[in-house]
Amino acid sequence: MFGSLKAGDKGKIIDISHVGHLVQRRLLDLGITEGSEVCVKCVMPFGGPIMIESCGQCVGIRRKEAVQIEVERI
Amino acid sequence: MEIALIGNPNTGKTSLFNNLTGSYEYVGNWSGVTVEKKVGVFKNNIGHLIDLPGVYTLNPLSKDEGVVTSFFLNESVDRLLNILDASQLERNLHLTLQLLEFEKPALIGLNMIDVANKRGIHIDASKLSGVLGVPVVPVVARSGKGCDKLVDVIATKSIQPTKKNLVYYGKDVEEAITALIAEIIGKTDHSARFLAIQYFEGNEYVQEYVNSIADSEKLKTISANLEIKLQEIYNSKSLANFIYLKRKEVIESIVADVARKSNSDIPLSEKIDSIVTNRILGMPIFLLLMYFMFMLTFDWLGTPLSDALDALLTGPVTVGFEKVLTAINASEFIHALIINGLVAGVGGVLVFVPQIFILFFFISLLEDSGYMARVALVMDRIMESVGLNGKAFIPMMIGFGCNVPGIMAARTIETSRERLLTILLTPLMSCSARLPVYALFVGAFFAGNKAFVVLSLYVLGIVVALILAKIFSSTILKSETSLFVIELPPYRLPQFQSLWRSTWDKGKGFVRKAGTFIFAGSVFIWLLSYAGPNGLNVDMDHSYLAAIGNAIAPIFAPIGFSTWQASASLITGFLAKEAIISTMNIIYFVPNDASLQGLLADYYTPLAAYSFMVFILLYIPCLATVATIYKETASKKWTAFSMIYAFAIAYVLSLIIYQGGRLFGLV
Amino acid sequence: MIASVLIGAAIFGYAIWHFVKFINKSKKGKCAACELKNSCSSQCGIPPKVK
Repeated sequence: MFGSLKAGDKGKIIDISHVGHLVQRRLLDLGITEGSEVCVKCVMPFGGPIMIESCGQCVGIRRKEAVQIEVERI
Repeated sequence: MEIALIGNPNTGKTSLFNNLTGSYEYVGNWSGVTVEKKVGVFKNNIGHLIDLPGVYTLNPLSKDEGVVTSFFLNESVDRLLNILDASQLERNLHLTLQLLEFEKPALIGLNMIDVANKRGIHIDASKLSGVLGVPVVPVVARSGKGCDKLVDVIATKSIQPTKKNLVYYGKDVEEAITALIAEIIGKTDHSARFLAIQYFEGNEYVQEYVNSIADSEKLKTISANLEIKLQEIYNSKSLANFIYLKRKEVIESIVADVARKSNSDIPLSEKIDSIVTNRILGMPIFLLLMYFMFMLTFDWLGTPLSDALDALLTGPVTVGFEKVLTAINASEFIHALIINGLVAGVGGVLVFVPQIFILFFFISLLEDSGYMARVALVMDRIMESVGLNGKAFIPMMIGFGCNVPGIMAARTIETSRERLLTILLTPLMSCSARLPVYALFVGAFFAGNKAFVVLSLYVLGIVVALILAKIFSSTILKSETSLFVIELPPYRLPQFQSLWRSTWDKGKGFVRKAGTFIFAGSVFIWLLSYAGPNGLNVDMDHSYLAAIGNAIAPIFAPIGFSTWQASASLITGFLAKEAIISTMNIIYFVPNDASLQGLLADYYTPLAAYSFMVFILLYIPCLATVATIYKETASKKWTAFSMIYAFAIAYVLSLIIYQGGRLFGLV
Repeated sequence: MIASVLIGAAIFGYAIWHFVKFINKSKKGKCAACELKNSCSSQCGIPPKVK
């Protein structure tokens, strides 16, 4: 689960289908989908968004969507 | 010849547009700077260049992306100029493959090769050109390197794509494509294959278009059957996803072929990011930056410059005009018109040019450096709690310069509810035209802590916007869906030249307005103050302007400023907020050394002055803003609402501040 | 005297011209204020329907 990753951790996305349709589409546009390797850059306080990096680009997504993405730690 | 510029967001399309057309359009370092279509003429006159908003795919999610799709469907274009970000080749090629399916002559500008090289990515442009079957020209749009070559290729080469059907979508999909093509062939000028694939991908714009020319039921059946088939055979999630994966396969093989990766050092971005988006320091750093900006604008640099300009205008310039007028023996009427009307009215606004330019410089710096998207990220938690998302903060920041582009910037927000909410609330952001009012009043009443008082007004605007967002989103604009995914561009060191250009570009509007509308307004305001029911050159308290002001003045008595002067300036402020200051300069015109600031103390108490500033901050948006709200919402109801709620909230807050302050013994 | 009349006429003429221009421009919103409006064919023509 994304929720368990901390800043600096790396992971590989296994399942993204539980996330809302719009968010899924947008992440897909940015090239982030099942199989993508991501790295958590930072986590905002008070349940704020998290910043992830994939293929050299940084993307901000909300925590509640992030926890619905299943990742496997690598 | 019509050439369309198209590419992913923040790949430098507008920079290239400026380079190729010699014009100057708004550029910045975040996704979604360009939200509408813009047309320019090529430097060497070979045709028109059309700048489109950035898109990841032709299947739109937000309104600015819809601009691109409807452009493709409804307008004719001769050539496509696709800009690729070399450092993000995989992602960028998804759009390229869709464009090539459109089967129009195309060429590729491979931008940001310098950034890519720094990251250790080397791309073989000629190989890429060979694989895709279209010319590929490496460029650096920011510096203009390679642009001449690009123009040569556009102008001379025949660039009909040499390869067709770059992506083979598999037997089942291809069969369905053929079936759908059979339904629409001959009924449209567009590539039927392109329409078929976009239809299957669920592109609403294309579906609507295709349904209008063919039997929609039949098409639906083809698509539904295909989806079921794919699910059975390949266990695919959806038709759109299947198509995406097929494209991805092709892209991976292309990239493996043309790109070479080597080791690179950690980009500067990540080091800065670890500080500015730090979990604890992020918000304080943002507030500190804002405070620094206001100190510089109002205390350290801006005010001394404005004072010097003021001394120049009231001193040598006025004396000069007087001399000329005496020399040509001008009548008393003309003398008063020029000195009391124009010099006071136009000069009174021009005095604030230094402060406005400093503010614009900072806004440009924020936009150009890449910090803007970080602010959106840092702000998202707060915005989410009021029913908005962090992206809505970008239009609001732009609104600090001018509300009109701020409202336009709301187009990048994906959900219509959040977009409408952002449009309604952006006018509460204190635009640069309101700044002279604060500068004047803080100078007169709060000389000790100018920057702090002004900052309090800006923050008040934001806080009111957030509270109203909460109220609106839990009452009239209720909805569950909210979307926040934001691309954070790498930081880049802003070039002084481009920074200066965008500062000047924003600031020149203010100067131009002073010479045109404020000039005209000053003439009419002066005339209204010079003439009265009893003839010309009346005492100002008996002028037409006083009569108009007096008619509505009683409304403002409970909030601290019942003078006709205040009411009259509020009326002119609806046309343009700068007009408030020129009206006041004309009304309170003092021929001697006494300054307007000194004179204001006779008419306002400090408490009333603060109440007045709050009222100016929030009351009805200016005419141009109202017109833009109407244009963007296409709704008379919401436009009227934006004016009425702003007036109501301004009145209520000023009332609380003034009456509350008096209760606590403030004056 | 002639100078006064000339200056007065020039100022009022300029003022009326710009006043009318400004009101027209503001009412149209962003498009009219755009420097490319003569060559721009879109007229901000975006279909209102986007989800």
